[in-house]
Amino acid sequence: MATFIAMVLAAVLTNNFITVQTLGICPFLGVSKKTSSAIGMGVAVSIVMALSAAVTWPIYEYIMVPLGFDFLEIIVFIFIIASLVQMLEKIIQKLSPTLYNAMGVYLPLITTNCAVLGVCELVIDKAAMVSLLGGASVNFLWAVLYALFAGIGFTLIMVIMSGLRERINHVRTPKYLNGFPISMVTASLICMAFMVFTYIA
Amino acid sequence: MINLLSALGTIDADTWITVGIVAGILLAMALVIVIAILIVGKVFKVNMDEKVTHILENLAGANCGGCGCSGCAGFAAKLADGSGDLSACHVTSPEKKAEIAKILGVELKDEQPEVAIVKCNGGNENAVAAFEYKGNPTCAACNSLMCGNKVCKSACLGCGDCKNACPEGAIELIGGVAHVDPDKCINCGACIVTCPKHIIERIPVKAPVYVACSSHEKGKEVMKGCKVGCIACGLCAKKCPHGAITIVDNLPVFDYDKCTGCKTCVEVCPRHIILER
Repeated sequence: MATFIAMVLAAVLTNNFITVQTLGICPFLGVSKKTSSAIGMGVAVSIVMALSAAVTWPIYEYIMVPLGFDFLEIIVFIFIIASLVQMLEKIIQKLSPTLYNAMGVYLPLITTNCAVLGVCELVIDKAAMVSLLGGASVNFLWAVLYALFAGIGFTLIMVIMSGLRERINHVRTPKYLNGFPISMVTASLICMAFMVFTYIA
Repeated sequence: MINLLSALGTIDADTWITVGIVAGILLAMALVIVIAILIVGKVFKVNMDEKVTHILENLAGANCGGCGCSGCAGFAAKLADGSGDLSACHVTSPEKKAEIAKILGVELKDEQPEVAIVKCNGGNENAVAAFEYKGNPTCAACNSLMCGNKVCKSACLGCGDCKNACPEGAIELIGGVAHVDPDKCINCGACIVTCPKHIIERIPVKAPVYVACSSHEKGKEVMKGCKVGCIACGLCAKKCPHGAITIVDNLPVFDYDKCTGCKTCVEVCPRHIILER
């Protein structure tokens, strides 16, 4: 239980993928104009993160390390994630058209998302996982759970950002800050606020 | 190549073997993934409507969202099942639109070039203020507070959200009312989407006159809120020699195909709100 709480805190707050590790910035700035699309993107990223961690972890642990080509991890992971998302898109389109309409447009955007690659790289890194969750946590289940909660942390930031951007539309900003610059200022303020959480780690 | 590699360390047979193994692994993986994707694609094949694909090929593919659908694919699907209107797209060229109309089996309406126009003439002078507004100087914020600070609920709030939205700088605020410069307007629709009062509309470029009021209230209510509001007296509709004006929902509506620009309506309007362009 203590490990679980530590894992949730680490994934969502102290090691948040957007604000602390600065991964997945493109969807953070690109798809955060409306709360509805931010939630769609967040859910899609969470699912893909958990799925790709579940696929890449055993491949790394049981195939790549024993055969001694673990140095190829980035190429292999990108390969696997991209094709996984392609297949996932097709499967969702067939099985649930409603879900596809809600989520489908965001899936191709995730194919080479650095947050997804980042979480796969992180959960296979034993030293990093031990420092985050303690020694008992280096196994498949924790890796997938960590990836899932990292996705939820990603969704949280997306929702906060989109809410703030919607509010900014109601306020007159100076001409030189209008549009994208004020979003960058907002993003930096969110990141500063979340830096506070790094001190409880 | 050899020189470049030798800078990194000694090159011997082992290096080339490693390179070969890596290339082999990646090629094998690519092969496996290609087969897997092909199988998934076959098993989970979705029968796309051929009509939709054809329409999609002919659309501009800008995915601008100007039609209100999520991208061109959504618009194509809407067109195919008959719920969409082809004229909603302002990006696709007329030739391509004719092609799509042929696929759909409908007749393409002759499209006239249009410009945006602000259908309000109130402003600081004429539209009565309900209260003094001192909040954020944007129409969106003002409108969120009791539907704006004017008695008339269809009045231009004069904060200039449309002016900020306009990419061409075609909108000016004159006396608390926005005015669109028809020469600069590119008919993009940014102001139409932005205006919280929905009082900016498209009219044909050749339209000689327009009604500078958007209030659907009855005459008595309009009188309370504005000196230049339409009271729906119907004089313009009666006096128009070409029958181009009908009163719909307390506002005159022009049929610009019939209008000849005789300006009779401009003269008879007791409130002087049918304006020349």
